[in-house]
Amino acid sequence: MTNEPVIIKGTKEGVTIVVEENSNFEDVKKIIYEKLQNSRNFFTGAKVSLKAKNGFLKKEDYTKLQEILSDFGMSLQEAKSPKTLIFPKPNRSRVLLLKRTVRSGQKISYKGTVVILGDANPGSEIVATGDILVMGTLRGMAHAGAAGDTSAIVAAFRLQPTQLRIADVISRPPEDKEQSPLFPEIARLKDNMIVIEPYNSLK
Amino acid sequence: MGEAIVITSGKGGVGKTTTTANLGTGLALYGQKKVVMVDADIGLRNLDVVMGLENRIVYDLVDVANGVCRLKQALIKDKRFENLYLMPAAQTKDKTAITPEQMKKLCDDLKKDFDYILIDCPAGIERGFKNAIAGADMAIIVTTPEVSAVRDADRIVGLLEASGFEEPKLVINRIRPDMVKRGDMMDIDDMIDILAIELLGVVPEDEKIVVSTNRGEPAVADETSKAGKAYRNMVARLQGQDVPLMPMENIEPSFMDKLRMFFGLKARTR
Repeated sequence: MTNEPVIIKGTKEGVTIVVEENSNFEDVKKIIYEKLQNSRNFFTGAKVSLKAKNGFLKKEDYTKLQEILSDFGMSLQEAKSPKTLIFPKPNRSRVLLLKRTVRSGQKISYKGTVVILGDANPGSEIVATGDILVMGTLRGMAHAGAAGDTSAIVAAFRLQPTQLRIADVISRPPEDKEQSPLFPEIARLKDNMIVIEPYNSLK
Repeated sequence: MGEAIVITSGKGGVGKTTTTANLGTGLALYGQKKVVMVDADIGLRNLDVVMGLENRIVYDLVDVANGVCRLKQALIKDKRFENLYLMPAAQTKDKTAITPEQMKKLCDDLKKDFDYILIDCPAGIERGFKNAIAGADMAIIVTTPEVSAVRDADRIVGLLEASGFEEPKLVINRIRPDMVKRGDMMDIDDMIDILAIELLGVVPEDEKIVVSTNRGEPAVADETSKAGKAYRNMVARLQGQDVPLMPMENIEPSFMDKLRMFFGLKARTR
């Protein structure tokens, strides 16, 4: 791999500009400017998408690049979100990581996010002020956003809880559910109701 | 130094005492080991009855703990099986008659003379349970294929882990292969999936257990009993032998198993 902070690539959809991680934005700006200057008119009219390796660009930097590009007659497209499946990043600072099975009669109470590498068995209780992520089967009771955070979520590799609570909303799985789905699911609050969706997008 | 094993379950009536009696007798009979079975169920003693030794009790566990008699005086030798002894519980007292510390001392004393100390734990998670596990090095958890029994077993595994027991072993008792096949009973995989501990053995439902319990003759010594065979396999596994789970009658190989066999792969043993 080159160590160049900026790579310009031609793709099916047009031109892609890739900005390397940890590169100085002033350098980036200069390089893009120079490269475009050297290939005058070649890119005119091209649709450009921008990719930053570290995931994001500052809004002001983004606007500056947009200006440069439009000077050369190019239009910048909105960046598409990556298709990679990422488990939701806990957005609260305190995280409790448990590498074991939480068994019947055991209660986990935590101010923050709880991540369990294992199962939470029936009869267990997990209460967190933040999110609850179970990288196994959740069969017990889970209460996310216990202090009232309605944006809290419960996600599990296999979501088969006895009862789910988010903030002050309580729900239980439908009685007629014959077989639980064999894919990860995520529960969150929508219009004061707990909804469960397959976990396959970051929408 | 011997090894002390507690046989526990949380829920009552799943077969702790039957398992203790059969494993104890099996280890003495087939393993040629010196075995003592300790009945920790003070106030509701049963092990002596199941072993048919009730009429020989003079002193008991509480007497030993309180120094009323010497350890050897309370031990009952089973005359049918060489190397097999019973330490009976008191029937006229309750669980608070001894402390976990006294129980630990008793187990340590017994370990000097015996290869195996099998402790029959009472149901519940209170004082009786704490007494029973105090002196044990290892735990065997008995469950039946019922949701309530598995739930209680899970609770017990949690409590044992909190007390420093590292790898409890599981005995699934009274399974009925025909019901499992129809989907009316939890199967072995379901239970292991939840409890996530090592399986020691699976005992099929067997009328002979009722007969042998009432007669005070452990089924493990009965060559014609299916349950007896399951206990004999467990005795072998406890001594480090690798014995596959016995195939249960009425379970025909599934289509997938037949396919596996056709391709020369090992069918799943049940």
